[in-house]
Amino acid sequence: MGKRKQSPAPPPAVVESPAFWFGFEVAWAKLVAGRTILFALLAIDALLAIRHAPRYGAGGFNVAQLPFLDGLGPTRVSYAIGQLLLADLFVLAACGVATRFAVPCATAIYAWLYFGSQLDSYQHHYLVSLLLLIACFVPWQRPASATAATPVRTWALRLFLVQLGILYLWAAISKMDRAWLDGHALGMQILPQPDRLIDLRALLDGRLSITKLAKLVLMTELTLAFTVWLRPTWPVIAPIGILFHLGIVFTGLEIGLFAWIMIGVYAFVIPDRVWVGLAELPPSRIAIRMFGRLGRALEGRAGVVVGGVGCVLALVLATVSRFDHAVAVGVAMLVVAIALAAIWRRPRAIAWLGIAQVIATLAWLAVDRETTVVVDYYRFWGGSSRRLGNLGDAEAAYRRLIEVAPDDDTGHYQLGRVLLPTDSTGGLEELHAAQRVAPDRARAFVAEARWLVNQHRAAEASAKAAAALAAEPTSPEARQLVDQLAGRKTAPVPVDRDDP
Amino acid sequence: MIAFLRWLLSGTMLRSWRGRFIVVFVLAQLVLPLRYYLGHRDPRDERFAWRMFSPMRMAQCKPTFKVNGAPADMYAEFHEAWNELAGRGRITVLEAMGAELCRRHPDADVRVSVACTYLDRDPETIGGYYNVCNVPEL
Repeated sequence: MGKRKQSPAPPPAVVESPAFWFGFEVAWAKLVAGRTILFALLAIDALLAIRHAPRYGAGGFNVAQLPFLDGLGPTRVSYAIGQLLLADLFVLAACGVATRFAVPCATAIYAWLYFGSQLDSYQHHYLVSLLLLIACFVPWQRPASATAATPVRTWALRLFLVQLGILYLWAAISKMDRAWLDGHALGMQILPQPDRLIDLRALLDGRLSITKLAKLVLMTELTLAFTVWLRPTWPVIAPIGILFHLGIVFTGLEIGLFAWIMIGVYAFVIPDRVWVGLAELPPSRIAIRMFGRLGRALEGRAGVVVGGVGCVLALVLATVSRFDHAVAVGVAMLVVAIALAAIWRRPRAIAWLGIAQVIATLAWLAVDRETTVVVDYYRFWGGSSRRLGNLGDAEAAYRRLIEVAPDDDTGHYQLGRVLLPTDSTGGLEELHAAQRVAPDRARAFVAEARWLVNQHRAAEASAKAAAALAAEPTSPEARQLVDQLAGRKTAPVPVDRDDP
Repeated sequence: MIAFLRWLLSGTMLRSWRGRFIVVFVLAQLVLPLRYYLGHRDPRDERFAWRMFSPMRMAQCKPTFKVNGAPADMYAEFHEAWNELAGRGRITVLEAMGAELCRRHPDADVRVSVACTYLDRDPETIGGYYNVCNVPEL
């Protein structure tokens, strides 16, 4: 086992021309903070995107962002696997582990998932794919003997910030339009949110003027366009930019983690001295010292053992996760980790790789257990398969949904509906399970009553319809069915396409 | 602007691969969004133009797909996400959906049209005149 190979020391004083690009330096503390915040947010964004996987490749149809990729777009399976891999690679990058491997791989996967289908219509995903491309050239690895204040020269980070400036410039140009300047367009996009701490809409209707805010947004974007990449402006621009994107959070627009990712990007705009100051606070110094000691302890055989245990533990955690294909991705990452360890042959790096893998799979578990992503994935997969006539897929999805959320009536109800035409016993069992799980929802009772009607069992159907109405007296479907079976005329009930 | 371009394209920038990468990247990002403003055939398609929260985002479109004169059940044909994109009036998606209907219903007459209303311009209706199996562009 060789000694840990350090990244090259800070470059010599000679600066390649022009210095605007090639003389650009930031403090090591800033690079670490920005790396951790940005890639951690991207890992969460990737995991949250898995709920959308079922739409990819559904019905064998795709239109790519770039025409030549139409036939190469992601499918449900490849999209879900791709996002799990992305989450894993982003966590590695956030931890500063294998960044020269993780960032380019993540860039390639991210670009394929984004450019492979117009189903991803988030413009911030386009931005992220560009920023990732640039990030491939940022020296994320710690230079030899670097301290928090050690300057790191990086033309790529300057380009990263210039890209932000270009984004703001075009965003401002797009708003030089009468419908924006008179506040009309903005007013239609900010919705009332009475349950939020800050209801921006209420503020706008009260003290602020929507017209003034629209102009303020345009002015802010123009200002950021010409300043975000200029170091002397950072003390002023960083708070403005962060507040601007926090404002977008408060609009309540459904645009994924766009505003949060932009706030994360501002880690690179916050002045270096802030990050250096934070790194020199007593708790940070203690943490840095502890990491240093831990790193030294991981030299030699202990590092290999920790790395190995970490990778195996990560695989075990992957099997506990309820994400589709999590085990396959876990195995793939284990193979990659073994390959990297064989190439590196550096105990400390192998140890950190194992630790980062554990953190990555813990992130999977956290998102799995704390959000509805996994449940949504199976629900959406079942729903789209059912609507597109792939009943085999729908049955598989709903059976999995029941496994992951047995106390949710949706899986039982939808599986019951899918099974009824071919397996009435199984279908009725599932509808009864849905009725037990959600005794105050009419839909499973209504579905059974309708099936009974088709079986010409009118008396049982009437009783079941009455049970539906008793379960949920406000249900229009139950009311309509009861009236129909009683021979009374009723108004048609609008069809809910999603019926989740 | 000219001074900036002259500086960007100066010999020193083009001497190294890093410089060439920067020049290509910055120029592409400055020029690519121009495509939207200069003769882009679909104003509702704001991809790659950084038009977040633009007035065009508020456009509301109602696509119509007919196979042999009868409305197609688009929710049985395509995932709802594609129908949502069609509801934004994105022409490339509408045309691709029309072409897919032609594949699924050989020898059929497939008509695609979309009626859109905007915040800052008059309503318009696009397509619907030809069988998209013969004339694939709306």
